[in-house]
Amino acid sequence: MASLIQQISTFFNYYNVMLLLWGISSTVLLTLIGCGAGFTFGAVIALTRTARSIWLLPLKVLFIAYVEFFRRIPFLVILFIVLFAAQVISPTISLFGIAAISICLLSTSYLSEIIRAGIESVPRPQVEAAEAMNFSRGLTIRQVVLPQAWKVILPPATSFVIMFIKDTSLVSQMGVTELMFTGKTPRQSRLLLAARLWNDPRLLFRPVLSAEPPRRLDGEETCHTSASEISTPATGKCRSCGTSAFQSRRVR
Amino acid sequence: MAFIIFWAAFVIGLFGAMGKSFGGKLTRRAVGAYVAFFTNTPAFVQVYFLFNGLPDAGILLSPFAAAVIGLTINSGAYLTEIQRAGFASVRRTELEAAEVLGMSRLQSVRYVILPHIMHTIYPPLASFFIWILLGTSMSAIIGVEELTGRAINVSTSTLRSIEVFTVVAGIYIVLTLAASVALYLVGKFCFRAKMRVI
Repeated sequence: MASLIQQISTFFNYYNVMLLLWGISSTVLLTLIGCGAGFTFGAVIALTRTARSIWLLPLKVLFIAYVEFFRRIPFLVILFIVLFAAQVISPTISLFGIAAISICLLSTSYLSEIIRAGIESVPRPQVEAAEAMNFSRGLTIRQVVLPQAWKVILPPATSFVIMFIKDTSLVSQMGVTELMFTGKTPRQSRLLLAARLWNDPRLLFRPVLSAEPPRRLDGEETCHTSASEISTPATGKCRSCGTSAFQSRRVR
Repeated sequence: MAFIIFWAAFVIGLFGAMGKSFGGKLTRRAVGAYVAFFTNTPAFVQVYFLFNGLPDAGILLSPFAAAVIGLTINSGAYLTEIQRAGFASVRRTELEAAEVLGMSRLQSVRYVILPHIMHTIYPPLASFFIWILLGTSMSAIIGVEELTGRAINVSTSTLRSIEVFTVVAGIYIVLTLAASVALYLVGKFCFRAKMRVI
């Protein structure tokens, strides 16, 4: 415990605070993306599922399958599936993109259920009265159903969104730097360094060879910060991307 | 694992709700603080703290124990809220009648309040059980060998990630569907609760 208290003063240095702020912004951004997509697509799904038209039946079945699928799988498993599936489709997708996609999938399914419950809570006679007054379907939804459903939707939706802000902490397992992960890095940066060295032992010699101060190894790594530019001093070209090492250093 | 967590959390929630409904000012404050703290921090962070943070204070927990304790404390807070809402739904006169009959606090909770509120709080309890079932997956990260943990192990050793995780997703769906049906039947025949499976 004493060591914990001792660490507090060293913990709040400039880099750690910046890292934490970066994590907070990432968490907020993921939440906003998830909420936006969730409410939009969730409303579409809910409206389709509550519609009475027989032509929408296949779509309804599809949506029910979708919602039940994503509501009955842990978020972690969704993350893994999206990670591996996304890497097949586009190998260069960023981890943040993967996190955003899986959060959208999750929030869409949950919010569609919440919105559907709200729409179904509106008494049937209200809709029938609107029909009798020759309201179109869109007008009925906008002026009759939604104002009444809104009160039912809002409380569970709020608590879901709060749950969801906290769910973003799981994303740290995939390597997106959000709040949870930034809390983790100062502890484990030495471990991460060890992992990098294990993958690329040439990194060990990098500070000596390139005669520049060693940079943080747990930050994002571009092509030129790896040892590749040092390994081909004769041509002066980077082995992996072909640009001149001199150029890239000037750009940096 | 989900069963252990659920019953332990149910007991915590019961006492929490009793404390919040009948306790003095101090008990109420304490329970309120507990609920506010544990429902507003991610369950994952709590488990992570128990597993990685407590060793600094000299307490070493096995991954299983850390996951169970963390998730229990977390869901205890949620269940406190659910059961407190149930307690609030019992009519004042019923409690007064129980008092007139000379029942103690515990007796009135056991014979008057619980039968009443089980009808009301059964649906949220059931959905929370499903939530715990899904929530146990995050204990895989700290190294507990449950479904997701096994899946991660198998996928790292075979490199067939998509197949493995699709199968695991299927298993989870079957598991939660079975749990939903069972809970629905129990709710229908024991507590006359109105709920549906899908």
